[in-house]
Amino acid sequence: MLLQSSASSYLPILIQGIMALAFVGITMVITHLVGPKRRTIDKLTPFESGISSVGNARSPFSIKYFLVAILFVLFDVEVIFMYPWAVNFRELGGKGMIEMFVFMGMLLLGFFYVIRKGALDWEK
Amino acid sequence: MTSLIIVSVLAVAVLYLGLFKYKTALLPVSVTGLLAAAAMAAMDWDLEKMYFSEMMLFDNYAVAFSILLILTTLLIFGLSRNYFEKISNNVAEYYALMLFALAGGVVMVSFHNLAMLFIGIEILSISLYVLAGIRRKDPASNEASLKYFLMGAFATGFLLFGTALIYGATGSFNLAAIASSGAFESALFRAGVLLMMVGLSFKVSVAPFHTWTPDVYEGSPGLIAMFMATVVKTAGFAAFLRLFLMAFAEASAFWAITVAILCILTLFAGNITAVFQDRFKRLLAWSSVSHAGYLLLAILAVGFSASSAVLVYTIAYSLASVAAFGIMILVSRARGNDHLDSFNGLARTNPFLAFTLTLAVCSLAGIPLTAGFFGKFYVFKVALAQGYTWLVVLAVINAMIGIYYYFKVIIAMYMKENANAVAIQLNPGFRLVLSIVVFLIFLFGIFPGLIANIL
Amino acid sequence: MLTQSLFYFLSFLAIFSALAVIIAKNPVHSVLYLILTFFAITGHYILLNAQFLAIVNMIVYAGAIMVLFLFVLMLLNLNAETEPQKPAYIKIAGVVSGGLLLLVLVGALKTVDVSGAGGTTATDMGLVENLGMVLFNEFLLPFELASVLLLTAMVGAVLIGRREA
Repeated sequence: MLLQSSASSYLPILIQGIMALAFVGITMVITHLVGPKRRTIDKLTPFESGISSVGNARSPFSIKYFLVAILFVLFDVEVIFMYPWAVNFRELGGKGMIEMFVFMGMLLLGFFYVIRKGALDWEK
Repeated sequence: MTSLIIVSVLAVAVLYLGLFKYKTALLPVSVTGLLAAAAMAAMDWDLEKMYFSEMMLFDNYAVAFSILLILTTLLIFGLSRNYFEKISNNVAEYYALMLFALAGGVVMVSFHNLAMLFIGIEILSISLYVLAGIRRKDPASNEASLKYFLMGAFATGFLLFGTALIYGATGSFNLAAIASSGAFESALFRAGVLLMMVGLSFKVSVAPFHTWTPDVYEGSPGLIAMFMATVVKTAGFAAFLRLFLMAFAEASAFWAITVAILCILTLFAGNITAVFQDRFKRLLAWSSVSHAGYLLLAILAVGFSASSAVLVYTIAYSLASVAAFGIMILVSRARGNDHLDSFNGLARTNPFLAFTLTLAVCSLAGIPLTAGFFGKFYVFKVALAQGYTWLVVLAVINAMIGIYYYFKVIIAMYMKENANAVAIQLNPGFRLVLSIVVFLIFLFGIFPGLIANIL
Repeated sequence: MLTQSLFYFLSFLAIFSALAVIIAKNPVHSVLYLILTFFAITGHYILLNAQFLAIVNMIVYAGAIMVLFLFVLMLLNLNAETEPQKPAYIKIAGVVSGGLLLLVLVGALKTVDVSGAGGTTATDMGLVENLGMVLFNEFLLPFELASVLLLTAMVGAVLIGRREA
């Protein structure tokens, strides 16, 4: 049995998205138009805790962020696989449970490895 | 199938052994596990079993190549004692990654569905991208890793695009369903075949998609380069042939001319460039490109005996490569570099090493009485049977060029002297593996029937 | 009718922003255009009724992977004008080979019989429920092997990204 649905079912979501964006857009435009402006040099310099800014924002930063980000992506992909499993949980039954647990087990082993290895320790 | 599970579980087990600091257990556990995996693979012989709704087919082809991959890995592990320790302190991870790569290789030789082919290639490649960059402090190693990754990801894109087009033309990922779909005339299917060919050609370093090979081989540690030249190349060609044999064989009139052109390009690019190399590792890298050319000859002749020819060739090539790369590691460790001059006088200081290397390069060159001769012999035979006489003539010319550059090493070892050369110490692992390789090269060189009639 | 005009709009958006990715001088702009491309493709997935893919594309590609791309850009030093100029013959070779590929693909796709030559006709295949049933029955083995793939990538990331002790 194939479930029925089509692209037009997304129309309400589309409308909601447009509404949300429009709200943000309109608010921004209106505050700009309505609010008072005083363009002095002091007002326009970027505020960095009272210290005058040095250099620009494009400075390379630590590889540690990248490691966290890439591990996040890997687990993100893992979690994505759980959606189709979860919606079919009843139909797949015990067999599906085992199948998913093998998959999860493999990745939990990976997670434990990452923790043990100290890849997420910031100070090391 | 059981062997695939064993290899995957073994990889995780080795990873965790390293995590809990049982460093001494790494090698014994890996070796035992690999032997078990090879034994389990052998149990599937003649069973022709399909697994998981025709995702994998363990026919004799798959079993033979799986065992070859596993045993080659075993030989490489035999050389690895005290090797990774010198490079890094994450020894267990390297064993684990090589085992993961092996699991990918086993998938690649036994797939019966394009989805499995993709997953197998990815598991193999991702492990290798990391392995190529083991030496973190060495810019050449970093460059090798990055170059391999970027080019490999690009090639995977081609492979996936081709897969998608073939699915569009035939409506299935299943090899048997593709073969019986009768969509061979459609332009969609043909474009798909070409794109998949590009992707696979990259993985087995066929010209003009070979440019990464020398840099990656040179930057990677010797043992990893050995792994790339043997296990990866065998798995890649087995997958290439399996795909074209089981799915695209009917359309061979269409793709044969393309493969023939790739074959000529690869042979000449590999052999002629190899002549001008003066570092042994780069020479081996270019020679591995040229060997891809000879193997393409067998793919051209899709048919009953092509798989047998590829099997003989890859066995011979893997054995010779293990010996050649192994001695290259020893020499470059003892003398500081892998320049051909470093091999001067090796025959005087280490007669056994010189003899083994001579045998290995003779096998690579295809001199009679070595396994490599019969590798070339069978490949040429199947190509001739299909009427590719002109191609075989070109290939023989290339084999002649090959003899020239392979003999440069032999001349260095036997004819040239190096006054201050000292004997190189061998550890038992090296001695054992090299002895086995010498024995097997001779055995298969004299009794080729042992391996020629397996498939 | 609405679907068709949406299709043309999304296709235009996808092609335009994909071109902008490679034309933009500033790499950060390239990444932003790439996000736009991914959103357009998500729209296409919805039009094709492949809802699961649409969500995955949104979450994984537009969400996680783009963040990763930005990270990579930030790891590089964008201040230095180190981008080497490619020689003209490489540019020409790139244009020629890319053009040939385009020609082959256009030629191949032009002849496609749209009425579905063996292709799947089940238009509801892309729904999460139906896709899940296929994934956990027919494509079970690739799914399980994907965990091996992810584990390999995890080990590799830790190995390369972590400071050597």
